[in-house]
Amino acid sequence: MVKYSDELDAMFSALADPTRRSVIARLGRGPASVGELAEPLSISLPSFMKHVRSLESCGLIRTEKSGRVRTCVLNQDRFHLLSGWLEEQRRIWERATDRLEQFVTTGSVDSDGPTPTKEES
Amino acid sequence: MTTQLSRTRNQNPDLDLSIQRIIHATKQAIWEAWTTPDQLAQWWIPAPLSLRVDSLELAPGGAFVTRMSEDGTEWHPHVDAVFLVIEEGSRLVFTNAVSSSWHPSLPDPVAMTTEIILGDHPDGTDYRAIVRHGSPEQRARHEELGFFDGWGTVTDQLAAAVE
Repeated sequence: MVKYSDELDAMFSALADPTRRSVIARLGRGPASVGELAEPLSISLPSFMKHVRSLESCGLIRTEKSGRVRTCVLNQDRFHLLSGWLEEQRRIWERATDRLEQFVTTGSVDSDGPTPTKEES
Repeated sequence: MTTQLSRTRNQNPDLDLSIQRIIHATKQAIWEAWTTPDQLAQWWIPAPLSLRVDSLELAPGGAFVTRMSEDGTEWHPHVDAVFLVIEEGSRLVFTNAVSSSWHPSLPDPVAMTTEIILGDHPDGTDYRAIVRHGSPEQRARHEELGFFDGWGTVTDQLAAAVE
């Protein structure tokens, strides 16, 4: 859960910036090079690269360099992590309630729990 | 007095979750499982993680602090919260939007208020857990003050991006 929270934090931070959101919106239409992404924005390339690295480090996009061109691609799995957060909270609470029920009806919780998962806490 | 403090109707389906279950045990047994540190530590988080209860002051404003560990030696923050409502044997509410030291806080990834309600039922206890979550927007706004122009925009863009 700690790691999971950190990942969400990084994504929320990355998305809390209009430049980076515009990059995400553009990449939603398909992969693009860093040059193409930076062109409509009135900022320097080094500044823009910081935004690219921010999005890449939290996993929202992937980049690949081919020759002199770095291409950016949206990482769809990360969006599912974001949208699935509340559903994950529900699963965590359902399992906690499973363990509470087992505890108050049998006096203990199985060492491996009723339905263990590694990501909850 | 506190029985009049009901917020159960004010729920936001996008951010809140609610669990209801009939548990075949007495209200008292479930109350003790929640409020006795040794008992809470046994069920709240799943093995192999272990839970340590540092504070559990059963009164409005009382500290509720737990830590968790993967190996039993290194303990990480888990919950740092205060109780808002305590109705002995039937209802407890706590939130981590305010820390146990009463400092307003911005916990990861969002703040939440948890309400546990124990009701009478012929087969045992009508158990309800309601968890109200702060919006990611609040957190982002605090972190990036001045840069954020609305979570709705982001979700619209995300939806457009992944469709």
